[in-house]
Amino acid sequence: MTLPRCERLSVDELTAYAAGELSAPEASALEDHLFSCADCGVRAAEVDALARAVRSAVRASAVGSFVTDDVLNQLARDGIRVRMFTLSPGAFVPCAVWDDDDLMGVRLRGDFSGAGEIMLLQRVGGTEVARERVPLPASPHGELLHVMPAAIVRQLPEVNIEISLSTTDAGVERTIGTYTLVHAGPMHR
Amino acid sequence: MPDTSDALAAVADEALARRIASAPPGSTDAEEAELYRRFAPRVRLYGRRHLCDHAAADDLAQDVLLLTIERLHDGDVQRPEAIGSFILGTSRMMARGERRTTRRREAIAARFVDAGGQTASLPYAVLDAPRVAACLRALGERDRLVVLLTFYADRDAPRIAEDLAVSPGAVRAIRHRALERLRECVMGGARS
Repeated sequence: MTLPRCERLSVDELTAYAAGELSAPEASALEDHLFSCADCGVRAAEVDALARAVRSAVRASAVGSFVTDDVLNQLARDGIRVRMFTLSPGAFVPCAVWDDDDLMGVRLRGDFSGAGEIMLLQRVGGTEVARERVPLPASPHGELLHVMPAAIVRQLPEVNIEISLSTTDAGVERTIGTYTLVHAGPMHR
Repeated sequence: MPDTSDALAAVADEALARRIASAPPGSTDAEEAELYRRFAPRVRLYGRRHLCDHAAADDLAQDVLLLTIERLHDGDVQRPEAIGSFILGTSRMMARGERRTTRRREAIAARFVDAGGQTASLPYAVLDAPRVAACLRALGERDRLVVLLTFYADRDAPRIAEDLAVSPGAVRAIRHRALERLRECVMGGARS
């Protein structure tokens, strides 16, 4: 006979617990159950494994993403080398990553006031490679942050990487800025 | 003949604790590794919640499990049927005191951590790193950002909500969906 498995603690609850979102009494009650329940222990192992794997993937500089300063600060604490470029609208900025860089990051500045949804268009050497909705508003400093694996950038030839940001104000499309990274090819110390 | 790791996985927590307690030190390596495999993830989550530091949570898991095994061998665990409660109590005590010693960490690392996959019979205990990275890249931009902020930057839902200019409830909904997709992608790869 197979006994019903305990479903009391879900992945969501365990994630919220680990993130510190539960009150002290709620957390204490969860702990009392978690340490006495094999089924929920297995689910906790799954959450733990996912969290550790995500951290490993980020530390291995294997994932590009829009980020916030919180992520950049954590990268710095972990000793991840991020080659940052700050671009204002219309800028042409020479860029390259060195062989000991882990990530390349860009700070895109612009007038984001009133911008609800921001669209990003990216071209490499004139070829469109990405068209997507940006998932977060600009920082209080009027910037969007994005990082990408340096290993990918390192493989690019001498080529221009063009990023365009736009938004829609009252049904009218408005360009926030076009930013060009002039990639100089691989760099070695 | 010693039980295989598969056979030990079927042994109840209480029976596992009694085996360790009744045998001389050095003769229950497999049972001790199984106890570590079961409870270390729970202690790490506890540590992450209370110490807010991944390295400290890792250390706590090692310290708590080594002390638990020592206490079992010494006959100091009065109720092996409540071994989970003992481990939780030990976690609370050690987290409060932040008692971490290099000797304990080195000892437990040598005995269990280096064993890596050998002590991990669950499919997700050691996840395939390239696959996890590929699954992260396959997420939508917003989903990926929420996962990174949760598991890498250790931000709770209210803080992430401020960054994304949405409600904490919306963050939890995004996180739920993102974790479902990530687990499906990662576990799908683990099963194939």
